[in-house]
Amino acid sequence: MNIFERIQQLDRRWIYIVVALAIALPLAFPFNSDNITSPPTENLYQFIDSFAGRPDRAILLSFYHDASTMPELFPMEVAILRHCFERNIKVFTLTWLPSAGPIIDYAINTVKEDYPNIKSGVDYCNFGYIPASLAMPTVLGMGDNIAASVKTDAEGRKLENLEIMKGITNYSEMNLVIEFSGSSAGGMWLFYARPKFGLNIAVGVTAVMAADEYPYLQTGQFIGMLAGLKGAAEYEKLTDVFGAYREPGTPLDLGVDEDGNKIPHGRSFSSDILRDESIQKYLNITPQHIAKFKPKEYQQFVDKHPEKKAIFDSLKEEKDGMIEIDVTKVTEAQKDELGYVAFNDLNRLTYNIPYKFKVARIGMNAQSVAHIMIIVFIVLGNIGYFIQKARQAKQQ
Amino acid sequence: MSFELFSNLVGAFFTLAIFSFLYKDNPLYQMSEQLLVGISLGYSFVLSYERVFIPFFWQPIVLKHQFILIIPAIIGAFYLFRFSRKLSWLSRYPIAFSMMGTGASVALAMHSSILVQMRQAMVPIENFNLFLIFLGTVTVLLYFFFSKAHTGVYGKFVSIGKWFMMVGFGASFGLTVMARISLLIGRIQFLVNDVFAKIF
Repeated sequence: MNIFERIQQLDRRWIYIVVALAIALPLAFPFNSDNITSPPTENLYQFIDSFAGRPDRAILLSFYHDASTMPELFPMEVAILRHCFERNIKVFTLTWLPSAGPIIDYAINTVKEDYPNIKSGVDYCNFGYIPASLAMPTVLGMGDNIAASVKTDAEGRKLENLEIMKGITNYSEMNLVIEFSGSSAGGMWLFYARPKFGLNIAVGVTAVMAADEYPYLQTGQFIGMLAGLKGAAEYEKLTDVFGAYREPGTPLDLGVDEDGNKIPHGRSFSSDILRDESIQKYLNITPQHIAKFKPKEYQQFVDKHPEKKAIFDSLKEEKDGMIEIDVTKVTEAQKDELGYVAFNDLNRLTYNIPYKFKVARIGMNAQSVAHIMIIVFIVLGNIGYFIQKARQAKQQ
Repeated sequence: MSFELFSNLVGAFFTLAIFSFLYKDNPLYQMSEQLLVGISLGYSFVLSYERVFIPFFWQPIVLKHQFILIIPAIIGAFYLFRFSRKLSWLSRYPIAFSMMGTGASVALAMHSSILVQMRQAMVPIENFNLFLIFLGTVTVLLYFFFSKAHTGVYGKFVSIGKWFMMVGFGASFGLTVMARISLLIGRIQFLVNDVFAKIF
């Protein structure tokens, strides 16, 4: 009996162990890998980004899934919410499923932790659970007047009284709906709202469902699509490169302009920037703890916090013409002396991405290893099968 | 022990209990499976009571005296007659009303799923991709045209449609594998980062 025949007769439980290890090891020991973004993800990102800083535009996120599909859909939701919070885009959320209510809260709270200035009823509004039996009247009603159709948010506040509703009446303003689902994503909006009101629709779907949704994407009925964990990883990357981007000299909170409008953080989408190798430093998913500056950038940075200059100077080290500060070497006393703003400003320049904003990319590492393993299994299995078949033919 | 860690430990226990089915069926797996069904049902029931019964039945009828709503409420309650052999026919009435939504969606679904799809399939063949879409659409449609035998040149032509479908099935299978692996990744990420990393 050769090795291929042995593999044919292998107990399936050994294969389970190999699969578990192939996935667990890349997760326990993450490594940096490239993640090329695809046009459906880029189109969706650009569409959402075109609403940046506009009080008369909003997007609606429909959470049409339960906990069973969270591994694929939750990172997408977090990435889009983060993009919106970074770029000052109004967000509404709703669900047709009772079990998705807590998922909305979980997603919003996960992102909101890092954005203390984001407020419910001002920057975002959760409509909460709306029974699926009311989906059709709600979808059609929002085309005329959102506040008349939904009436109250999940906290029981009247929509018409909320600040977020200023400048938002119907689909003319809330011009994009993104539905996350593990089954028929976007159907309700596609059948009722798009033909009647011309609503723009995008979907975030599990990989299983992606093949079913591509025809709608190809005919332009969906303006974009996030497909499975890969789609989530791509969106995470775009948010890091553009939405969460900060020039070394810019303050953490940019504040408001002369007219009182919030100035969005980050920068606009550009294919040239995506192709630039310099963006790699924003995309490392392994833990980063060293802030690197060119001498001019360091001066710019210190000028923002002149009273903390002595502490920064005591922490800095010069290597190959660059100035480096290792944030893990900052003592608790120094942290207190620096204060929240200065320390976080420094920490931000290590480009260390919080775990929750790189979950999908770390998952894609495991996905890649698992795919290679499955291909090897298929090849070995096929070789074994044909050897066995040839032997049987000989015996006959 | 923080509440978060405690709840994560409960989650980890049930995750491992479900995974234990991979070894063989056992009481821990069955307990977890039944708990999941029970908790989901109980949770949906409570939420439906709060978000449907109270705002759409109790408040308008009892508090705002919109008594006309009693009629749809009674028709809706006919669903419960499904459990009676003699009166189960009554449950067809609420189903008939819900069919109105289905009827309303037919025309709009036809627009999105048929007319727009057809329109986009009839664009000028300006590049190779569009040629492939044209070829795939025609050959797959002809493959399911059973009034003519799949023989000779015609048979060879329609067998191209079979190859297009095979590629489609392969893509679907690949995406399905990817989705299932993603689910496992989600659970292992939970075990590695939210449980083991916090304990050790």
